[in-house]
Amino acid sequence: MSEALAAVGAAGTDTTVPAAPGARQFWRRLREQRAALGAAVVVALLVLVALAAPLLTALEGQDPTTYHPDLIDSARGGVPIGSFGGASADHWLGVEPQTGRDMFARLVYGARVSLGVSLGATLVQVFVGVAMGVAAGLGNRWIDLVLSRITDIFLSLPLMIMALALLAVVPDGFPRPVLVALILALVAGWSTTAKMVRAQTLALKNLDYVSASRLSGWSTWRTAVRELLPGLAAPVITYAALLVPSNISAEAALSFLGVGVKPPTPSWGQMLTSADVWYQAAPQYLLLPALALFVTVFAMTVLGDGVRVALDPRAASRLRVGTGRKREARAQAAVPATEPKKEEGA
Amino acid sequence: MNGFPGFVLRRLAGAVVTLLVLSVIIYVVFYATPGNVAQITCGPRCSPAQVHQVAQQLHLDDPLYVRYWHFLQGVFVGQDYSTGTSVEHCAAPCLGQSYQTGREVTDIIWAKLPVSFSLVSGAMVIWLLLGVGTGVLSAWRRGRLSERVLTAVTLAGVATPVFVIGLVLMIVVCGELQLLPFPQYVNFTDDPEQWAWNLLLPWLSLALIEAAGFARLTRASMLETLAEDHIRTFRAYGVGERAVIVRHALRGATASVIALNAVTVGSAVGGAVLTETLFGLPGIGQELVRAVKVVDLPVVVGMVLVTGFFVVLANAVADVLYAVADRRVVLA
Amino acid sequence: MRQPSVRARRVAAASVSLVVAAGVAACGPEDDAKSSGGDSAPHKGGTLTILNSQPQEDFDPARLYTSGGGNVPSLVFRTLTTRNRENGEAGAKVVPDLATDTGRPNKDATVWTYTLKEGLKYEDGTPITSADIKYGIERSFAPELSGGAPYLRDWLAGAADYQGPYKDKKGLSAIETPDERTIVFHLNKPEGEFPYLATQTQFAPVPKSKDTGTKYESHPVSSGPYKVVKNENDGEHLVLERNPNWSAATDAERKAYPDTIDVRSGLDSSVINQRLSASQGADAAAVTTDTNLGPAELAKVSGDKELAARVGTGHFGYTNYLAFNPKVKPFDDPKVRQAIAYAVDRSSVVNAAGGSALAEPATTFLPNQKSFGYTPYDPFPAGASGNPAKAKELLAQAGHKDGLTLTLTHSNSKDFETSPEIATAVQDALKKAGITVKLQGLEENDYKDKIHSVKSEPGLFLAHWGADWPSGGPFLAPIFDGRQIVKDGANFNTGLLDDKSVNDEIDAINKLTDLDAAARRWGALDKKIGEKALVVPLFHPVYKRLYGSDVKNIVISDWTGVLDVSQVAVK
Repeated sequence: MSEALAAVGAAGTDTTVPAAPGARQFWRRLREQRAALGAAVVVALLVLVALAAPLLTALEGQDPTTYHPDLIDSARGGVPIGSFGGASADHWLGVEPQTGRDMFARLVYGARVSLGVSLGATLVQVFVGVAMGVAAGLGNRWIDLVLSRITDIFLSLPLMIMALALLAVVPDGFPRPVLVALILALVAGWSTTAKMVRAQTLALKNLDYVSASRLSGWSTWRTAVRELLPGLAAPVITYAALLVPSNISAEAALSFLGVGVKPPTPSWGQMLTSADVWYQAAPQYLLLPALALFVTVFAMTVLGDGVRVALDPRAASRLRVGTGRKREARAQAAVPATEPKKEEGA
Repeated sequence: MNGFPGFVLRRLAGAVVTLLVLSVIIYVVFYATPGNVAQITCGPRCSPAQVHQVAQQLHLDDPLYVRYWHFLQGVFVGQDYSTGTSVEHCAAPCLGQSYQTGREVTDIIWAKLPVSFSLVSGAMVIWLLLGVGTGVLSAWRRGRLSERVLTAVTLAGVATPVFVIGLVLMIVVCGELQLLPFPQYVNFTDDPEQWAWNLLLPWLSLALIEAAGFARLTRASMLETLAEDHIRTFRAYGVGERAVIVRHALRGATASVIALNAVTVGSAVGGAVLTETLFGLPGIGQELVRAVKVVDLPVVVGMVLVTGFFVVLANAVADVLYAVADRRVVLA
Repeated sequence: MRQPSVRARRVAAASVSLVVAAGVAACGPEDDAKSSGGDSAPHKGGTLTILNSQPQEDFDPARLYTSGGGNVPSLVFRTLTTRNRENGEAGAKVVPDLATDTGRPNKDATVWTYTLKEGLKYEDGTPITSADIKYGIERSFAPELSGGAPYLRDWLAGAADYQGPYKDKKGLSAIETPDERTIVFHLNKPEGEFPYLATQTQFAPVPKSKDTGTKYESHPVSSGPYKVVKNENDGEHLVLERNPNWSAATDAERKAYPDTIDVRSGLDSSVINQRLSASQGADAAAVTTDTNLGPAELAKVSGDKELAARVGTGHFGYTNYLAFNPKVKPFDDPKVRQAIAYAVDRSSVVNAAGGSALAEPATTFLPNQKSFGYTPYDPFPAGASGNPAKAKELLAQAGHKDGLTLTLTHSNSKDFETSPEIATAVQDALKKAGITVKLQGLEENDYKDKIHSVKSEPGLFLAHWGADWPSGGPFLAPIFDGRQIVKDGANFNTGLLDDKSVNDEIDAINKLTDLDAAARRWGALDKKIGEKALVVPLFHPVYKRLYGSDVKNIVISDWTGVLDVSQVAVK
């Protein structure tokens, strides 16, 4: 991503960041937004389902790996017997074609992998990206040059190709979901985050209060932690909310190319990969994981918006543009925008 | 050096370094990948002696640095190779020959690029219309039904892998409703109309993945502009809402949309692997996956350099466009 | 070994298919299909579209690895002999093509003589000579043009170190061409099945003056009913048109009804099946030579009478099995191997492979067709879904009373043969016999390297084997002949069996030129080897393929298992 792309994260969060809100303030602002609150509940539920997968399947009395050959029609390609994919009191969401494995169990266990891989990859991307971006932004010319070039190189590596190659190199014993998450995070993703963070850092470091802290003899490290990171939080979180769905999609794409997590471990991406051809013969096989994926992405996006608004009160005022008189009052209360000087990479 | 020429020079130097490092990385990674290249090239039932002959033929027994040196020589001065019956010259920049087919990599690239460009150019139009349109609506008509539907559609686009969207679209549009023929690549120069009809579904599928990013970007920048002082002043003076949106807010978003677009185009040229595979479009991405699977190193390196080149180029273009559109930015 | 055709599933982009799928075999419902429609008699004319997944990357007769000369290649390349283009069992016979007969052996089948028919011409009108056939075979030895089957190198006298005509101008002394129409092959041992080998594309004539080495494949000189008029992107899009110099009078096998053949490849397999089932426009006159119906499509097709009538069903000689390396513990103990043979649940494996319509449970290593000498046997009768009790009993005898933990190696490809789906089905079945199976999934290339290397061969893995021609010879010898163990290269005798009685019997059968008699003895040998439990046969695939609604004259032989494009008419 180019410096210019920093705009994706930066837009809507002016670089003139007021002091970050305290935790209490943050929660209050988050609670004020009904949509965000709903999304938070959905995300929490999804995480809960993933964590409680063994309990939920025990409740149903099934597991994700046992075959049920009696529930499928072998002569017709293994399509589930009965309507709605063979849904019954025993198999709440029916069974998988060809194997007869329980769909509900595979879906909730699949949540573990899909959410785990995408959230894990996002965390690593954000961590590496922020570290590289802040270091490049605060460091001297040479550090900046070297780190920016490294970022560029990773930016140019085609993810799918590197994933195909690396997954073949790494020994089989390495846990596959962790590996997939690491590849997603380290080959792609972090470099765009780093670019954005670097641009933000460059803008922030010229602001009065950050410059002041630097001039007053604080170490670079202390400046970074105390003054910069709070200012970076809003754009980074906005950006992370975009990374989660793209990571989920990438995991599915890797499955499609045959290098995702390994069977019998289920993941939503893997289910989609084998299910797309069943769209006509057993639609629920495709629709269930697709729906799960959609709900997750939707909730994550809305929640990300909400968190950003809660972190950045000015954003809140902007989001309500055109909704009434309050707008005027809030806008006037906002800190006047100063023109940030953005620098372009070497 | 300062100013625009200086910027171009520095970017160019940076690009060369990036591409060289990229080629080294690919060489090292693929050197470590399992798979006996000579055996794969020779065939599964080749005897050890035959495999050895093929390895010699392809210089696979040379140390890695010698092979890389050979590669660099080809790029900068070209190289000769044998077809068995004659010796051919592959002119610089020569990226070598495919292990599998013996074809020159540059020929393969020239054959695949028009397909990738065709795919990306049309998809771009759709993702801009859909993405920016959704963004404008969601900034302007927050909470209305049309806005919610469009936002949901773009998010569904991000959430659903392209092989699902694409296949379902094909089954419904081409198979059941028979509105369009099943996509099959037609050269633009052969028949522009058929070219467009056949690419419509691939365009739509690829655009759906990208539209959400544009929608969110547009929305965010428009909201930012709308909150600025001068807009409030305009409103206070009674400038119509539509004029405010179109003349000012949308214009404010243009710079970042252009920038994002350049980068998206750059990475999609070689990155639309799944779209190309599903729709059978013989582009760069499909060829890359094929080459990786059979460890066809010259093809992989050549293709990665091409895709890398477009990513680097797109980033530079984005920065320039951004600087032109937004005069606050200084190209340093 | 010839690779199988593409499953109707995602083969994420191309794998190295050195193969061109060959024909299709009819047996069953497709016979009814022929009688449907008003005028079912085939007529000349029209364009046949072929929708394929794998591009025809290799279109050089030296590089092609085919069974019986391939399907599309066979339209352009004629060979000394060819497969009989008939339905079912009759189609597994070898018949003359360029030659006047299937070959005249000397007494011990070490010298084979062929005479070319009269009036044979290339697409440019020049005559085809026996020297061109010799040259075609010689160039297949060039490392630049590697890829073909190993038999010529193994069988021709003094050919082991020959490097092809580009490096070695002297040529192969094992092939004599006393006159323009006669060609004589000298072998280093008796090979009664030489006529089968002479169907492969290496036996197609190549005029030396037109040879352009590695670039020849873009426009190979045709000896068959069609010539190449367009070859875009390494076989991604091929257009074949009538070769005016081909004469039906010299070719009894190829019908060549359509005027033009348009081969489109690089398509997704599910898209191919969608297009064939929709059968709109040009797709009504379309077939595929490499894509089978997958289980999902089968579920849809079987509920639709119109579609079901357009499915060709065939059997290609092919076996998927579990392989043991008896040098790795605990597989050195025959009781452990037998226990696994009893524990395997073939019905769940068949389901994973696509269900009972797409796979037939196998208890014999040889395919279940007459030409292979198929002799039904089941040394470890486990029933349809396994006999875990018997397996447990054998394990207890072998000293594993408390169960056993094993590693099953498989590939991560999506072929539904050695892929994770089959491996998990085996894993699930062995669990019932108290065997815990850990899965080791390897990337395709890594998997092939490991299982075909004597040094790194795992103890238990999924494998498959396909017929180079419909006989027991190329099926049993590479896998069980002790002299074919390759220590420093690609080894296919994965059971590392070197048993003198087996080796001797292989030699004895190779002497037979009566192919029916040979088939019976291959069948008996298979049974004898099966009792050693070096492999557990799992299933034989069944090929089901859709064809467009205007396609007529469907011929599916037991040789290739797929529809033969040289017989198809679209008018």
